Amino acid sequence: MSAKPKVAFFEFTSCEGCQLTVVDSLQDHPELLDAVEIVQFREAISEKGEDYAIAFIEGSCSRPSDEPKLQAIRQQAAIVVALGACAHLGGINAIRNRMPLQEVREYVYGDRAEWFETYEPRPIKDVIKVDAVIPGCPIDRREFIKAVTHLLQGRMPFIPDQPLCMECKLKENICVYTRGKVCLGPITLAGCDAICPTYGDGCEGCRGLIANPNIEAMRQVMHEHGLTDEAIDAKLSMFLTNQIMALEEAG
Amino acid sequence: MSFKIMPKAALPDWVTWLKNRYRVVGPTARQGQYVFAEIASPDELVLDYPTSVLPPKKYLLPQRETLFTFDAQSMQMKANIEWEPTVILGVHTCDMHAIRLLDKVHATGYTDQHYQAHRQHTTLVSIECLSPCMEHSFCKSMGTLTVPEDYDLHLTDLGDSYGVDVGSEKGEALLQGFTAIWDPTSEDYQRINKVMAEKWPRFSYRLNFDVTELPDLLALSNNSSLWNELGDICLGCGQCTKVCPTCYCFDVRDEVDLSLTKGERTRTWDSCQIDRFATVAGGHNFRSTRALRNRHRFMRKGKYHLEAYGLIGCVGCGRCAAACLVHITPVDTFNELYRRHKKGELLEEAKQA
Repeated sequence: MSAKPKVAFFEFTSCEGCQLTVVDSLQDHPELLDAVEIVQFREAISEKGEDYAIAFIEGSCSRPSDEPKLQAIRQQAAIVVALGACAHLGGINAIRNRMPLQEVREYVYGDRAEWFETYEPRPIKDVIKVDAVIPGCPIDRREFIKAVTHLLQGRMPFIPDQPLCMECKLKENICVYTRGKVCLGPITLAGCDAICPTYGDGCEGCRGLIANPNIEAMRQVMHEHGLTDEAIDAKLSMFLTNQIMALEEAG
Repeated sequence: MSFKIMPKAALPDWVTWLKNRYRVVGPTARQGQYVFAEIASPDELVLDYPTSVLPPKKYLLPQRETLFTFDAQSMQMKANIEWEPTVILGVHTCDMHAIRLLDKVHATGYTDQHYQAHRQHTTLVSIECLSPCMEHSFCKSMGTLTVPEDYDLHLTDLGDSYGVDVGSEKGEALLQGFTAIWDPTSEDYQRINKVMAEKWPRFSYRLNFDVTELPDLLALSNNSSLWNELGDICLGCGQCTKVCPTCYCFDVRDEVDLSLTKGERTRTWDSCQIDRFATVAGGHNFRSTRALRNRHRFMRKGKYHLEAYGLIGCVGCGRCAAACLVHITPVDTFNELYRRHKKGELLEEAKQA
């Protein structure tokens, strides 16, 4: 193989938990450092190399001033990967997209609302071309390693489009619905090894929707399990606000 | 081959005795339901379990399996054919029928060596079902309430003892040298006859027609609007196929390590109910709607398998119905098709198409 590809990490509106997961993944896979050269990674190193070929971007774009920064990264990087739910979907930052923006700003910043620029948080693909996505809140460390491996092979990271129920049942978990909880597994992209249902909680949808999800049926199931319309809306807005709004818009 | 009696009190000793010779798996309790798992201690075994989340097929066709490993530098590959001498205890008769079908599928055309290796080293100890295991099962309608001939040992609960039918040499080997079994007395024979006679009325026929009519009924239903109705409510989550004892579709992937030198090809259970399943090169999806995918599943279970392998693809275990969050069930689906057929609707829809 030729020289190690140079890799950089960036963050926009996020908690940087996905980048911490990257650091964490080095515990299991220290050989990652033999495979790539990290030139910029605020969570782990002080250096700031600008000659990267692969950019991993965490965080949503939530301000107009984020856009030129994203565009600059796009210009430099041959491959841009959205890292985690915020970059992929807009993340929990997008919950506010169903609320009047001015009210939200005033609620957060009070009488200084005008001091801070902000707009509807959006996935970075709405601003720049994104080549691949590693979903999740946070990302799954095994999936990250797999994605890097795919990139090193010269192919795009591939995540099978299938609902979480598929993985959950492979593990023979007892369905959380039968344990009296509500779960978005039937409409959520798998790949996390069904970590939340495995430990007894319903899926919150952090990895985004599968292709052609049956939202109406999902609402009906949650309704049958005791959730009010309001509670169902809340459930579907934790991570999925932007995706559900887009589906509504498409009719 | 022969018929023996084993007192229930001897069961723990027998399980321990087996454990010294085989991997022993059987139904165990998990959070209010039951799963087949390795029996660490005989008291974990629950032979009078209702049903299991996944069928015991997972020991013959594991959820994930490495097919071969490869080394990109030496350009070598190595088949990974794994097996472990295994005894599966407490297999219900519906699951026995399912294994019979899986055996046939995996021995037809290119035989599946991975399946064969597991199967050849697996000994099946089935158990007679004496009352319905749950509301969704419909084994009596599907003709799976009696054990097919492929059992190695078959147990029948006689109260304080088990009747043990020996069906094969493999089964006989599980008893060889174990002394706490005896030949049946005339009372034992009377008892088993009574148990078998009494069990039958406890089960009801749940299909409103004879199962032999099912393939023709499905043939007529190709253009039924019922499929669209199911497609409207189906979540496409794939749970029905994951829990099905006769589903065997899998997806194959290659993964390499970070050094890009060593890798493996694995297969994982797949599902015809998920959106991308029938997507082919070029992006075309030839079963692009949930309606088409539902139709495919029921056709496969009630018609296609019979045509291809001579055995019906649904064994009436009811697991898919129990798992379905939107209450799509084979019994309701087949009965609804039959009702529409009786009203002449299926024929009408077939003509219109």
